[in-house]
Amino acid sequence: MIPDYLDLLTHELDFDRSLSRRVRQEVEDHLWEAVAADSTGNILQAQQRAIARFGDARAIAAQFAVVSLAKYTKRAGVAAVLVIAAVFMAMKARIAWYAAMQWAISDDMRAVSGLVLQIDRYSFWLAVLVGLGGWVYIRSRGIPAAFHPEYRRQLRRFFLLCTTTAAALVVSVISDGMLTALQLPGRELSAEFLVPIGSMAVEIACVGILVFHLRGIALRVASTAALLKT
Amino acid sequence: MEGEMLKGHLDMIVLAALSAAGSAHGYAIIEEIKRRSGGAFDLPEGTIYPALHRLEQAGLLNSRWMTADSGRRRRVYTLTRTGNRALVERRAVWKQFSDAIGGLLGGTRPRENPA
Repeated sequence: MIPDYLDLLTHELDFDRSLSRRVRQEVEDHLWEAVAADSTGNILQAQQRAIARFGDARAIAAQFAVVSLAKYTKRAGVAAVLVIAAVFMAMKARIAWYAAMQWAISDDMRAVSGLVLQIDRYSFWLAVLVGLGGWVYIRSRGIPAAFHPEYRRQLRRFFLLCTTTAAALVVSVISDGMLTALQLPGRELSAEFLVPIGSMAVEIACVGILVFHLRGIALRVASTAALLKT
Repeated sequence: MEGEMLKGHLDMIVLAALSAAGSAHGYAIIEEIKRRSGGAFDLPEGTIYPALHRLEQAGLLNSRWMTADSGRRRRVYTLTRTGNRALVERRAVWKQFSDAIGGLLGGTRPRENPA
């Protein structure tokens, strides 16, 4: 009886595997301790009573879902800041490499590169401002006990800030890609290309991480809402 | 006591029980709450665990695994310094609130706040 209840609870907490494992162990210990403390001597009835006192698995999973969502959004805020820092370092490393290799954009491409550079600069600083704003915003929010309307509003605001950050970073990375492409024509393929191409790969991976976190927030909001619906 | 009324104060109740018990696992915290409230608090026991996780995330509790005499793994919680401070603050707010409500319901004037 207790294993069935634990299976049900674990299943409801499937959206967060590490939480699910931890909760299963905690609840298992709780329920067997309650059975051991039951003085009636009927183990089946003791298990029934322990489960009844513990409460509905779905309702408890819904409360855990809110805690898990809050933890995930705070982690996403930190991820946004780290992603921005990593993109910045990749950009600086590439520029330093160009200077060390004395690579320069050809004169006929200078006008185009100037325009792309402006787009790159503004989009990156927009990502920095909005990303930092998002991190500070979510960091300053408490962890709610329930999925109440005010918390939903906070999540919407944070999601909007993160989406704006990701969009600005995508523009910045595309601009970086164009600037890198403008550096390459007329040069022979060699090991020297590894740094610009590697740093571009880092930037793309970083944006991918941020998008992955955004998707994670959306999925967790959906699973929390679904748990609370029924 | 009404479940909804209790839920609003669950964090304070858990912090107070843990402060009294020292380090304790979920079941022991629930037993402490029942004992100290004279059995008046009757929430579904499972409600305590999301609260414990939430308080831990907020930095008010620490937790660690240990092995119980039964051989099962057990998560034991302890109040952090921030948790202790939060409990002191919540106690003060609660005292003020309960004095005011007591005054209102009992028809006596609440004591003036010296601050």
